[in-house]
Amino acid sequence: MVIDFSSFYDLPREIARIMDEAARPVLISQRRIAYPLVNLAEDHDNYYVDLDMPGVDASQVELTLTERNLTVQGERPAQAGRFFRQERVAGSFQRIITLGAPVDKDKVAARYADGILHITLPKSEAVKPRKISISAQQ
Amino acid sequence: MSKDIKQHEAQELPAFIPATDIVEQEDGFHIYMDMPGVPKENLSIDLKEGEVTIEGLSNYAPPAGAQAHHAEFGAGRFARTFALSDAVDRDKIKAVLKDGVLNLFLPKAEAVKPRKISIETA
Repeated sequence: MVIDFSSFYDLPREIARIMDEAARPVLISQRRIAYPLVNLAEDHDNYYVDLDMPGVDASQVELTLTERNLTVQGERPAQAGRFFRQERVAGSFQRIITLGAPVDKDKVAARYADGILHITLPKSEAVKPRKISISAQQ
Repeated sequence: MSKDIKQHEAQELPAFIPATDIVEQEDGFHIYMDMPGVPKENLSIDLKEGEVTIEGLSNYAPPAGAQAHHAEFGAGRFARTFALSDAVDRDKIKAVLKDGVLNLFLPKAEAVKPRKISIETA
């Protein structure tokens, strides 16, 4: 029996390791899942958008509102030094959220707390459901 | 009693391994850990027998009374343990929690810091 100790000896496992590493890219631009993570909710008056983005300088985050889209742009800084482990994503990010109905642009509020950005978008008065009273003719 | 209930609730939440960077800089090691939604009072850092255990409880709650359309994250419990090197000065460990990121600073002990050795002439 010949035991092969060449550099190809452990090749299948090496390949598996490389593939595994590649599946979790640290750069946001190379990730398969969109960043940041987003939760969407709605009630009678507002849309609520929550974004999970810890470690971001809130003053550097750009929120742009167009007719139907909310765009979030920002950057997560990378650390300097000798890395022993790097799992946190870094780089610039952008995510576009399409809203179902027009919103009141002047009353949009955003709050950044504990790494989560909470955005409240009030629906514009024109699209809110309303009751119509029927006037009976006699 | 209420503490028991609180602990029970905490066990029900999904547990996550927080994404972590470990970086060596000149003065020591920095552990950066993503813990979105965790306020200072929900974070515990325990140092025991050469291991440091970090636990955090996210108090994220979706907007009350609203109908959720799409969800990619939620509340959770973060927990992770690291072994400490002997080179770390245990008395001077510092922790800062800012914007959902924990920065744990582990300074190097004086004994292992680089130093210049002066040469004496005989």
